[in-house]
Amino acid sequence: MGMVAKSTLMKWHYITGLILVVVLGIHLAFRWPSYEASIQWSGPHGVYEQLLNIGYMAAIFILLYAATYHAMNGLRTLLLELHQGRYWNTAVDVVIIVLGIFIVIVGTVALVGALQVI
Amino acid sequence: MSSVKAGLKIEVKRGTFTFRVKRYDPKTGDYRWSEYKVEVTNRQTVLDALLKIKSTQDATLAVRYSCRMGICGSCAMVINGVPRLACETKPFELGTDVITVEPLSNLKPIKDLVVDMDEFFEKHKSVKPWLIRRDEGEQFEKLDSYYVQTEEQLINYLEFAYCIKCGACYSACPMVFLNKNYLGPQALAAAYRWSADNRDEGYVLRLKVIDSDNGVWSCHYSGTCSKVCPKGVDPALAINLLKKSLLTGKPPAR
Amino acid sequence: MTEKLATKRNPPKWSLWLRGLDEWLLIFQKVSGAILAIYLIGHTLVISTALGFGHPSQLTWERVIGLIEGPRVVGVAHVGTIIEYLIALLVAIHGANGIRLILMQYFGLGLPKPERHTYPMIPSPRKSPQLVYKYLVIAVVIVFIILASYVAFMG
Repeated sequence: MGMVAKSTLMKWHYITGLILVVVLGIHLAFRWPSYEASIQWSGPHGVYEQLLNIGYMAAIFILLYAATYHAMNGLRTLLLELHQGRYWNTAVDVVIIVLGIFIVIVGTVALVGALQVI
Repeated sequence: MSSVKAGLKIEVKRGTFTFRVKRYDPKTGDYRWSEYKVEVTNRQTVLDALLKIKSTQDATLAVRYSCRMGICGSCAMVINGVPRLACETKPFELGTDVITVEPLSNLKPIKDLVVDMDEFFEKHKSVKPWLIRRDEGEQFEKLDSYYVQTEEQLINYLEFAYCIKCGACYSACPMVFLNKNYLGPQALAAAYRWSADNRDEGYVLRLKVIDSDNGVWSCHYSGTCSKVCPKGVDPALAINLLKKSLLTGKPPAR
Repeated sequence: MTEKLATKRNPPKWSLWLRGLDEWLLIFQKVSGAILAIYLIGHTLVISTALGFGHPSQLTWERVIGLIEGPRVVGVAHVGTIIEYLIALLVAIHGANGIRLILMQYFGLGLPKPERHTYPMIPSPRKSPQLVYKYLVIAVVIVFIILASYVAFMG
């Protein structure tokens, strides 16, 4: 990713980090008071209730995109620290971008579909 | 034993220490350990002890040193697991009877305690650690005026100007170990030192080097560099200030 | 035999890094970041499958999650619960330490100004703002562990 300054990538790494503290906090807070109850389909804290909660779903959408950027940029930084070379650097960039787009598409399809049905 | 000078009593203690020296043999390409017992006083340093070993026990022991007073930065080595200047470390103050001495880590060995500093100096050079002016004619030909600097402007970079390029921080940095191309704490501190100098106009030229995968962004702030620096240069602070400049888009305060 | 320059660097002193909290946090941040990135990929795939890739139903959800959760281990907790619990701990430490770095490097909070040397010299990682930061990181993680333990094993 030679065309983007590393500081721009890192600025977004830091911004998404700040966003993640909020939305990942919400994601984890919705496990309260029982993890087991929160992953049941039905029930007062179950998945169906979570899907109906528009505020929570908005947080999940933001979480998907922010976490994917943060994770992929972090993974890229780590992979380029472990090894460097002309082919390696290009391969890392390609893998990171493909993987990031893949996660975003899969996650968006599942979440949008779930919202439309419910 | 005591000596009297201006009414001040200086107590001189003597003790025998065991020095375990890790030595690199360029003929075989292997490391081996040598042990020496040597008597030193509480006024003597590890470098004094190594030189005593060299002159009385083992002339083949290779040590690099020059000034013996913490100015030149030649004698940095890993003493009892921490990179320090051998000329500023006293055996009596280390608190152990057996003192291990190893060559600086993260650098290639040449012989025994002597390491190859080439890549370290190459990285130092890559950040353009000199005064850069937009107008070179004014800088090198019209020598009739001074570049004015106030006391406050001096303080902005003075701390980082004390660097003696001994390589202790470079040797201690875990990220230099992980990323072989990482510029390291010393080069980045030098980049900040010149960029925070009000007489310098080269911050933009240095950006290409420091704002990269191997520049400041390879630092993840363990602060080991600042903790081992024998001159109190605090490279971790310089790197954090550079990161802040890059993130906020404001050049270093000067 | 001829003498030639070494091609490998001198090995590092791990003992230097394993005795300071800063160094532990750095190593932890790297390792947990890598684990969490891989977990994100797996988590997105599993939940998307459980939501039927856009065609959610109670049946698919319960089948996929039942498979992932595995057998019961302690109390109400399954194998999957314990894995999620451990991942949540990584999130807590990575997040708490990450916030420390962001506040310091982006907003300059607790970042000292360069000053004239006075002996003894205290490096910035040992100055009080950093100590406060690091104790806060530990406090936040302990509170999180208590809450997460309740949610995973008691609730």
